[in-house]
Amino acid sequence: MTPTSTQGKPAPSLWKRLQAGSIEQLHVRLESLIVLIVLAGIMAMLSPFFLSVSNFLNILLATSTIGVLAIAATFVIGSGGLDLSLGSVMGLSGVVGAYVGVNWGLPMPIAVAACIGAGAAAGFVNGTIVTRAYVPAFIVTLGMLGIARGLALVISDGRVIYGLPPSMVYLGQGRPLSIPMPVIIFVTTAIVMHCVLAYTRYGRHTLAIGDSENAARTAGINIERHRRSLYTLSGALAGLGGLLFTARINAGDPTAGLTYELTAITAAIIGGTNLFGGRGSILGTMVGALIMGVLQNGLNLLAVQSYYQQMAIGAVLILAVFIDQYQLRKETRV
Amino acid sequence: MSRFSSTFGATAMAALFAVSPAFADGEYAILMKTLANPFWGAMGEGVEAGAEEAGVAYIVQSVESDQAVENQLNVCNTMLERNPVALVTAAINSTNLLPCLKAAQEAGIKLVDLDGNLDPAILEQEGIDITFSIGSDNVKAGGQGAEYMVEQLGADAEGPVLVIEGLSGNVTGQKRAQGFADTLAELAPGLEIVASLPGDWDRGKAASITNDILTRNPDLKGIFAANDGMALGAVESVYAAGKGGEVVIIGVDGNSDAVKSIEQGRLTASVAQLPYLVGKQAVENVKVAVDGGEVEEHITVPTLVLTKEVMDAGTEPLLEYVK
Amino acid sequence: MTLLDVTGITKSFGAVHVLHGVDFHVDAGEVVGLVGDNGAGKSTLMKIVTGMYSADSGNITLEGKPILGFDPGERRSLGIEMIYQDLALAKQQDVASNIFLGREPVRKILGMNFVDRATMKREAQAMIDRLGARLPAISRPVGSFSGGQQQSVAIARALTFDPKIVIMDEPTAALAVREVQGVLDLIRQLKSEGIGVILISHRLNDVLSVTDRIVVLRQGQATADLTTSETNMAEVVSAIVGGDDMAAAAEHESRG
Repeated sequence: MTPTSTQGKPAPSLWKRLQAGSIEQLHVRLESLIVLIVLAGIMAMLSPFFLSVSNFLNILLATSTIGVLAIAATFVIGSGGLDLSLGSVMGLSGVVGAYVGVNWGLPMPIAVAACIGAGAAAGFVNGTIVTRAYVPAFIVTLGMLGIARGLALVISDGRVIYGLPPSMVYLGQGRPLSIPMPVIIFVTTAIVMHCVLAYTRYGRHTLAIGDSENAARTAGINIERHRRSLYTLSGALAGLGGLLFTARINAGDPTAGLTYELTAITAAIIGGTNLFGGRGSILGTMVGALIMGVLQNGLNLLAVQSYYQQMAIGAVLILAVFIDQYQLRKETRV
Repeated sequence: MSRFSSTFGATAMAALFAVSPAFADGEYAILMKTLANPFWGAMGEGVEAGAEEAGVAYIVQSVESDQAVENQLNVCNTMLERNPVALVTAAINSTNLLPCLKAAQEAGIKLVDLDGNLDPAILEQEGIDITFSIGSDNVKAGGQGAEYMVEQLGADAEGPVLVIEGLSGNVTGQKRAQGFADTLAELAPGLEIVASLPGDWDRGKAASITNDILTRNPDLKGIFAANDGMALGAVESVYAAGKGGEVVIIGVDGNSDAVKSIEQGRLTASVAQLPYLVGKQAVENVKVAVDGGEVEEHITVPTLVLTKEVMDAGTEPLLEYVK
Repeated sequence: MTLLDVTGITKSFGAVHVLHGVDFHVDAGEVVGLVGDNGAGKSTLMKIVTGMYSADSGNITLEGKPILGFDPGERRSLGIEMIYQDLALAKQQDVASNIFLGREPVRKILGMNFVDRATMKREAQAMIDRLGARLPAISRPVGSFSGGQQQSVAIARALTFDPKIVIMDEPTAALAVREVQGVLDLIRQLKSEGIGVILISHRLNDVLSVTDRIVVLRQGQATADLTTSETNMAEVVSAIVGGDDMAAAAEHESRG
């Protein structure tokens, strides 16, 4: 590939070249792509209902909320941080959006802004405490997990806020060109955020901070400001997830998003994000989320009990990290 | 090696799950909450028994917890891919399945509400017509609890009574507590409900509530809890306070733990719902509807006050359905 | 011509006086070894040069211009570059990302600024080639490289700033013996391009083989300024330890 790469070494195998190409061009590990394709192939063989456009849209629709949260998780974990409050903040945002839209009767754009804004505000608080008070992110976001959930229950009085304005419901249930709106919003967000993480200075610095704070600081990156913006971004994305959820079920549910943070982190890790920071891509995370989505959808179509689905996803998580570690050990042995 | 191990893993997993029921025309799709809850488990068993008796093909799906609102919607959408003739759902709340129900209705699939989880007003607003809803009457179940409490304490009894509600905002718990309160006021005005607090379906929380109220009202006469788990929590607190046998404690559900406690003479009674019967009758009625017959819009499955006497006698025909 | 001129620098941290008036200079294209025992004040002095610390008194000029008034970023753009012992590399990122970290070239697409990967890779490759460094592949994460190869990346990064002077802190300390020569060659390469180099090292063999002059810091003062071609191990060690146990120390050093 480069003149220096061939010195005294045999030409790399096709597999190796594919691996390198996949990572360089798509920022996705070849292994996870193969797992996704094989899994889809198996499901297609086992269930006659799997291979259809409407089922494909179903999978994307079912993945949309978790997918948006997983984007947030990729950014934060990629920077060496952690956001355990994703699910709760999503619940809070949904309730705030529904409250503004239903109880105050304000128009859709304001309700949407309130929803995403509430998430961003919670994330800003997370980021400020992490960077200014030097409390570990694990603790801060664990605290926010409780605070946001409690606040959601307080605002909604523990009840589901039902009956959103139709234009808001459209964001969750509308189907322009028979594509569900949440899928459109989710896929657009994923593409934009993929470009941000992979191709902008902001994204490159995010991974560099997660890789080595020292290197990033030496390179003149303002780490505190960057981290705070990351938590704010994470909160805003959780807010977007809350919006999709709320619009989809046409109700602000204060219990929405319970344990979603763990599922989102799982998707990011399966997709190749390094739990300790420094590596990750949105496309990879999307592959991770789709692996889980396909697994769930396929097992649902086969009418397999939900308990086995949880087992299967747990197994895939461990397997993915095993493959990752195996590759890493092989690489550093050079 | 790594790439193959992952592929093999996936293949093995898929093979493990390949033992799925045969795909058949005219399938009934039944969507439960979580089968981990014995109540829904029993209802699932009733559905299976009913379907086998009626000779119809069916699939039963459930979700991992009673909070998996979105996932239940996802599973519901996936079920539609199989083109069932009927969709029988126990929705986690009154709104989460609405988009799926709407799509099912457009596809001409018959809809059934298991255990009255859907709100008729919301259904009307959304333009969704369900074929029928089936379940116990929660208001009546609460009323039965009150009747039995008055039977035990006497119509002219006086003193404080505690009501432990369900999750705040949950319709089922509200109906049971309301039914209890209304009937109690009617039958024994001397018994005063001194507190009606949400126990969030949580045994531990119910125990703490009972503790607190016993401190305030040591002469507590009766406790009504909106489910058995909370009633059993209350039992523990009452016994720990040394007042075992002095307080009439009544729960709702008739689950196996409650049955054991009643046999031991600790829990006074449980208004048993008969989820098995609900599931069984649901399928039977779906068959009638699918075959073009007439079905009532609201089918009420009776509830049964389970006491030590009833169980010892063993003559009550509905006892068969207490699981 | 004097490139960097340090005169009369003093520095104390509270009651602890670390530097007592250090004088010291580097010419363009000159490699100066800065040696001294632990605690002699080498890193404090270098941090004052790069601007991480401020001096209590004294003066520093670069090409005749005083620089004490500038912050670290400004001194960097004036041409003072430091390579730390831990290299400060992001190990999971590739060579180009490390070299351009914090100042990636960008290209506008649809009004958004995107990192120009092609330019980055091209320039990184050019820099590696200019150094004559050997790397397995420029697109691999630098963590998979050997210590010497990582050192090359750090030097390449320093070079892209077009430095006038490069300060290297223990560049050979963690390297395998066969890799040390590679790094020393890189230092000679810098020298040949007219860049001044300050080499901080405990490995006196390396210092003696690559430098033009050796400045010895002892108890916060530059106590000796030796021309490398006219000195030897014994004299340097003697200057470092200050005469006592000189013979034993010199013998130890030449074995090491």
